[in-house]
Amino acid sequence: MAVAVVLLSGAPFHGGCCRHKVFLSLLGPLLSNSKLYSSYRRPGAEPKKKLSWQNADFSFKKSIDHLKTQLSLLTKETQDYLQGPGGHPLSQHVLEQTRVLWQFRSQEDLNKWVISSDVEIGGKSKVYIKLGRNNQAALLYGTLNTEVPRDGETKYSGYCSMRSRPAVGSFNRKKYYDWSNFNSLYLRVRGDGRPWMVNIYTDPYFSHQKDDLYSYFMFTRGGPYWEEIKIPFSKFFFSSRGRVQDNQHPVWLDKASFLTLGLTIGDKVDGPFQLEIDFIGLLNDRAHREEFAYETYDKN
Amino acid sequence: FTASLLLGTTLTISSNHWIMAWAGLEINTLAILPMISKSHHPRAIEAATKYFLTQATASALLLFSSMINAWQTGQWDITQLTNPTSCLILTSAIAMKLGLVPFHFWFPEVLQGTPLTTGLLLSTLMKFPPITLLYMTSPSLNPTVLTSMAILSTALGGWMGLNQTQIRKILAFSSISHLGWMTIIISYNPKLTLLNFYLYALMTTATFLTLHTTKASKLSTLMTTWTKAPALNAALLLTLLSLAGLPPLTGFLPKWLIIQELTKQDMA
Repeated sequence: MAVAVVLLSGAPFHGGCCRHKVFLSLLGPLLSNSKLYSSYRRPGAEPKKKLSWQNADFSFKKSIDHLKTQLSLLTKETQDYLQGPGGHPLSQHVLEQTRVLWQFRSQEDLNKWVISSDVEIGGKSKVYIKLGRNNQAALLYGTLNTEVPRDGETKYSGYCSMRSRPAVGSFNRKKYYDWSNFNSLYLRVRGDGRPWMVNIYTDPYFSHQKDDLYSYFMFTRGGPYWEEIKIPFSKFFFSSRGRVQDNQHPVWLDKASFLTLGLTIGDKVDGPFQLEIDFIGLLNDRAHREEFAYETYDKN
Repeated sequence: FTASLLLGTTLTISSNHWIMAWAGLEINTLAILPMISKSHHPRAIEAATKYFLTQATASALLLFSSMINAWQTGQWDITQLTNPTSCLILTSAIAMKLGLVPFHFWFPEVLQGTPLTTGLLLSTLMKFPPITLLYMTSPSLNPTVLTSMAILSTALGGWMGLNQTQIRKILAFSSISHLGWMTIIISYNPKLTLLNFYLYALMTTATFLTLHTTKASKLSTLMTTWTKAPALNAALLLTLLSLAGLPPLTGFLPKWLIIQELTKQDMA
């Protein structure tokens, strides 16, 4: 700001012939590669940030292969569209009461999920994911460490999470699902007694909504037996940037392009954790009649 | 807000000056925005934002078209729109206001984000002023542009409504399709457009109010309404068939007359 003022005040002093020099010096930060923001890098962050065009692969053969893949996806989508909503017949859409979204039987199923922990902010937690015994479940395990990174600005640490990759169709377009027939999330898990948080990140059409998250808790029992946990969508509370909002509303499921369904552990207890997940699905629980568990701010 | 809607509609349909017509359209847009975003749900806010952006753009184009005409011809009369550029810009503005292809992308999303009663207003009352403007300027507009937009609207409205599971989106695509029928005949017999619009408004009102009574917003809920209100469900069946244009029902009449008129014009 002060530099701009000095430059601008210098412009009439030097006269019209030097205006282009002033213009160039104003554009200097843009023309050079220097960063306009602070150069402090968090301990867990990547060392060098490549510009997006530097990541582009200009190989002709790869682009043809990619185009063929996308066209085949588009063909499949057209065929699904001819069959009915979501690629299934209409009768199935109307009558179905359960649907399996993710199940863990192969490495390909694991690749649909991304694991992360507080290492990205400089923490020391560890998280790993692998297929369980007999390829019947996914095993998410690791160690939680609540030691705060000493960078002067982080106050809390100690979380590990597993998030699903966004569902994309042909040509990287968002896939939209209609999940309004269901009212509960159904998970078959075997935990170790630690509480987890289930997060749903819905499609942010506008950038104001990109920090919005719907969350609820999943308390695991531990022990040798599998448990089936039903979490109604009416229980999910709304938060933005980590802060629970006063103005609560239920999750709308009609345009569910859930970019992320996440499972996070952050119970502030140091030590190992383990969660086996057989499958995650949807359920239409007819016994659950609640529309929303929290008070909504209905304005007249 | 309903009074403002009626004011805006009346202002537009009764005006013969472009500025008054534009003012009426703006009043309509501004009045319906709080009704769309009443629930303050992110989906409703999204619908309101999309509606505002498209309608504001269309209003700006409309004003721009009238100003070009005023600059070229020196008058602001709605029925005296003679400049070809003005006519083209007005066609695109009205298409955006109505939701004709290729400016239809906002309509299903907006209707999905609104309550059923507001959706009813969006489908019927908010269409009336642009249809009136189209009616008043129809002799000056390019028939080829209108016909191509109409055919695309009719086709795409039908095809895109096929795999929908949300009723409001189905009704939005039905609206796009009906607007295509209205637009195709406006250059040849504008009164048929108005007949089609009135009958469409009547049928859509009946549909929306029935769905509002039975609180059905998706297909699976609609499947079980027959147990709660069998007579109303049967009436809804007939209304939907009428919207589709089945012969013994009223909805067939405008389609028949339009096809008859198009045949006379060597188009069908």
